[in-house]
Amino acid sequence: MKKMFILLAVMIAMSHAVTAQDETIVFTPQWTAQAQFTGYYVAEAMGFYREAGVDVRIEHPSPTQPAMSRLRNNQCQATTLQLCQAMEIIDGGILLVNILQTSMNNAMVIVSARDQDPLTQKGARVGIWSVGFGQLAICMSIKEHLDYEWVRFAHNVNLFVAGALDATLAMSYNEYYQLVQAGIKMTDKNVYRFCDHGYNVQEDGVYMTREYYSEHKDQARRFAEASKRGWEWAVEHPDEALDIVMKYVDMNNIATNRVMQQLMLQEVLRLQVDRESKQREFRLRPDMVQEASRLMVENKMLSREVTYEELIEN
Amino acid sequence: MNRIIAYIRRKLSVRVSLRVVVSAAILFVAALGIMFYQAREAVSQEAISRATQILDKTSLRVDSILNRVEVASDMTKWLVERHTNQADSMFVYSRSMLENNPDFYNCSVAFEPYYFEEKGRYFSAYTKHVGDSIRTIQGGSDSYQYFFADWYLMPKLLDRPCWTEPYFDLDVATNTSEMVTSYCQTVKDRQGRMIGVINTSLSINWLSKTISAVKPYPHSYSIMIGRGGTYFVHPDTTKITRQTIFTQTLEQPDTAMTALGYAMQRGEEGVKQMYINGKDSYVFYKPLGRTGCSMAIVCPESDIFRSFDRLQNTIMGIVAVGLLLMLYFFIRIITFELDPLRRLATEAETIASGQFDAELPDFQRVDEIGQLSHSFGNMQQSLVKYIDELKKTTAQKATIESDLRIASKIQLGMLPEKFPTRADRDDVQLFASLTPAKEVGGDLFDFYFRDEKLFFCIGDVSGKGVPASLFMAVTRSTFRTVSAHESMPDRIVTIMNKTIADMNKNHMFVTLFVGVLDLPTGRLHYCNAGHDAPLLIGAGIGELPCDSNIPVGFMPQWKFSLQEAQIFIGTTIFLFTDGLTEAMNANKAQFQMERVNEVAARALDNQQHEPRQLIEQMTDAVHQFVGDAEQSDDLTMMAIQYIWQNNDARMRKSITLPNDIQEVPQLNAFVEEACQTVGLDEIDTMKIKVAVEEAVVNVMKYAYPSGERGDITIEAASNDVRLKFTIIDSGKPFDPTVQSAVDTSLSAQERKIGGLGIHIMRQNMDSINYERSDNRNVLTLRKKLNKKN
Repeated sequence: MKKMFILLAVMIAMSHAVTAQDETIVFTPQWTAQAQFTGYYVAEAMGFYREAGVDVRIEHPSPTQPAMSRLRNNQCQATTLQLCQAMEIIDGGILLVNILQTSMNNAMVIVSARDQDPLTQKGARVGIWSVGFGQLAICMSIKEHLDYEWVRFAHNVNLFVAGALDATLAMSYNEYYQLVQAGIKMTDKNVYRFCDHGYNVQEDGVYMTREYYSEHKDQARRFAEASKRGWEWAVEHPDEALDIVMKYVDMNNIATNRVMQQLMLQEVLRLQVDRESKQREFRLRPDMVQEASRLMVENKMLSREVTYEELIEN
Repeated sequence: MNRIIAYIRRKLSVRVSLRVVVSAAILFVAALGIMFYQAREAVSQEAISRATQILDKTSLRVDSILNRVEVASDMTKWLVERHTNQADSMFVYSRSMLENNPDFYNCSVAFEPYYFEEKGRYFSAYTKHVGDSIRTIQGGSDSYQYFFADWYLMPKLLDRPCWTEPYFDLDVATNTSEMVTSYCQTVKDRQGRMIGVINTSLSINWLSKTISAVKPYPHSYSIMIGRGGTYFVHPDTTKITRQTIFTQTLEQPDTAMTALGYAMQRGEEGVKQMYINGKDSYVFYKPLGRTGCSMAIVCPESDIFRSFDRLQNTIMGIVAVGLLLMLYFFIRIITFELDPLRRLATEAETIASGQFDAELPDFQRVDEIGQLSHSFGNMQQSLVKYIDELKKTTAQKATIESDLRIASKIQLGMLPEKFPTRADRDDVQLFASLTPAKEVGGDLFDFYFRDEKLFFCIGDVSGKGVPASLFMAVTRSTFRTVSAHESMPDRIVTIMNKTIADMNKNHMFVTLFVGVLDLPTGRLHYCNAGHDAPLLIGAGIGELPCDSNIPVGFMPQWKFSLQEAQIFIGTTIFLFTDGLTEAMNANKAQFQMERVNEVAARALDNQQHEPRQLIEQMTDAVHQFVGDAEQSDDLTMMAIQYIWQNNDARMRKSITLPNDIQEVPQLNAFVEEACQTVGLDEIDTMKIKVAVEEAVVNVMKYAYPSGERGDITIEAASNDVRLKFTIIDSGKPFDPTVQSAVDTSLSAQERKIGGLGIHIMRQNMDSINYERSDNRNVLTLRKKLNKKN
């Protein structure tokens, strides 16, 4: 009897939690706390979400609960994804909506060891994230007949620093600076930037499942607007924004430092400016979606074309 | 500051003491500097060896533990590879590793995905201490895909056993994490294919504690970094795992820190001197075994040299105090020793103020000060004596100077002061200047008119000053005396020479130029006795040719030669002494004849060669040349311009008579007619008739030897201002004008014959002039006409 009572209590508590989730948007960035997500931290810390009349809670992913699995399980209602990731997921049958596109440029680079040009390292062992970024790198490797041996790693630069890899993929705002910080010398020769070689495909955007979105359109828009406002505030107040980022970093006990986060913030904000219009556009570009889709279909990463219309709100 | 410097300059004792103390200080500083430098080197070496020992010890301790891990791992690998088909045995191996080695943190024997098909994708036998017990579980899952972990990938990719970079090992069950480093090596099947990895981890807490505890100096600290430069041990715990040794250099480039980072990453061992956190520090570094980590001890220099610095400061303090005391005592001692000198100085001041009889202090000393005092006393006595003599001499000198001033006035008074100009005369104008080098000088010039002749001279007595001036006075008065009754310059100079030479005991001499210019004709007779040849400035510029006669005063018998020249109207005769050509400037250069010629030429070009203009220009040129230099010699210049205006045009008639007394009435008629023509009254006509008759009769009597026939031509000419009679004969030379004037106070019997005739002529006419020209005697008698005539 007693056991039954406890079970009942737990069920009631859970149902409360479910009700609460209807009202609150839980936002899970796809990585641990860092300046990549400055706009959302600012929006939360400065009360932009509250002012927009939307209740948002930021919960970071854990090793056992990565962002995408939280979205699938409805543990969160919004997450950030790279465009290629989002397309893979949609191709896999989960319909997503891009409610805010922040990145206007591709940040991926290949950094080669021993001051070599990555394009000359045929068959090299190249590190790649185990969590599934780097679709464009694989496309490039095939197109350029480089036949890289991809080595999936968890999430740091130790293998490369220890000399176990010939080259590694890196984000220009994150691992790139970690490598610099580890004493790796960057030259024009040993860094290959995808954006400069016809692979300038947008990355981070905020996504919801289409199912959740269709029921909470107004809430989603207000969330997106407030997030955008957070980003714009960060552009105007980079130092204060960095202070906010460091609060989240410390709260989550992340092994990084202010210097790294400052460099990351500068680079992330730079990537938000469209190369052609020189503006922060906060929108998906149909041409980039089309190009990404074409590349991934060509390399059998997508079973079909994922269109711009499938990604955007309607 | 200036007051201090002034005080030091005033005080000998302070100055000497300062010099001694400063010299001593320099010696001390040099000696101590060398000593301190060597001592510092020794301390530095000591610190290095101490730190090196500590590093070696720590490294050895780390090595011994690492060795145990490696041996244990190798043994487990041996077992695993012999039972690669028995999945569950792996739990036993993994567990026994920790059972046998309680200080190991955990152990995994992990396999490639699906290696044991029955176990699925993940199979990792994972053993870990949980409290006092040991727990063994299957470690892999979707949320922990171990084959992407560094510890799994590193040995696989490197294909050799290796130590991982330290990392946080998260225990999901207890949500605790511990920083560990793992020794990993691959497991291979019989075919040599890699099938899994054995991972043996060691908590580095103990290592951190061991390294943190290394503290050879109070403010020293230790750090440990991994391969990527990440701090794993650092006194600032916020940096641990969050920052690398390069992080700060990204913000503020620091080449020393960057170099240290690279050196430690490369696993080098050494010591570097650097500036860290505002302090000069020594960094000693050494790799930690095979972990890829490197440790460093950072020792602030101030710590290493603390006791050395204290010693150094103490010694410096003692030296400084010692030097100050030394300065103080030196000043006191020197002041004491110099005290007599100060008293002497005071007394000397009294003497200097004029009290020559002031009494000097009597020091009973035999040293330098005593000698000085003694010498000073002697000097005082000499000074008193000398002052007395000086007073006398000064008084004498004042008298002499006064005399000289008077002499100068007298001498200048001897010289003519009024110079005839065009306004005064229509035949000649003249100007002269004399500037003595001293109060009195030896130059002279003189001129005067007699009849229709200008007598002039210029001279320069050898030597200067009073003797020369006296000689000059004699010369000048001799000239006046002699020329009064001699018309020919050679005669004048010859007589002067004889007179002067006779009374010249001191062998002085005078260069002299004497000229007689016949004004109606412009004939110049002259005699140059060793003087500079005059310049003629007229149609051109040229020197007047001069015979080489000796100066006056040497040889009484010398016969001086006469020379003659025609001076044309408008020509200026420029005479000067060698004070002009030899005027010297500050560089001892002389004015020289070239410059005299230049000035003369310029004056001629500008038609400014009238006497006064010429001499003023010459004076200006000399002053400009000489500048501020002292005048070296007397400077005398005289210029005579001949400006005769021959305008006897109103009346001209002549008559020629034989030398016969009978012709006198005819002469009188001629004269009377001439006088009437110019409108003279009867008295003047009578006077003229008497004078002309006297002159003609003189000629008739004396010019021709008795019985010899000869003609006498009488010309009468007049202009607006005068009437002129010229009596010309070809008889023997006879100059009636040199007959001395008659002393009319004597009776007729006492007078010399003929003397009365010339007297009558002079009385009745305004001027009489005699010239010997072309072997003829030419006597000219002139009478001025009143305006009414």
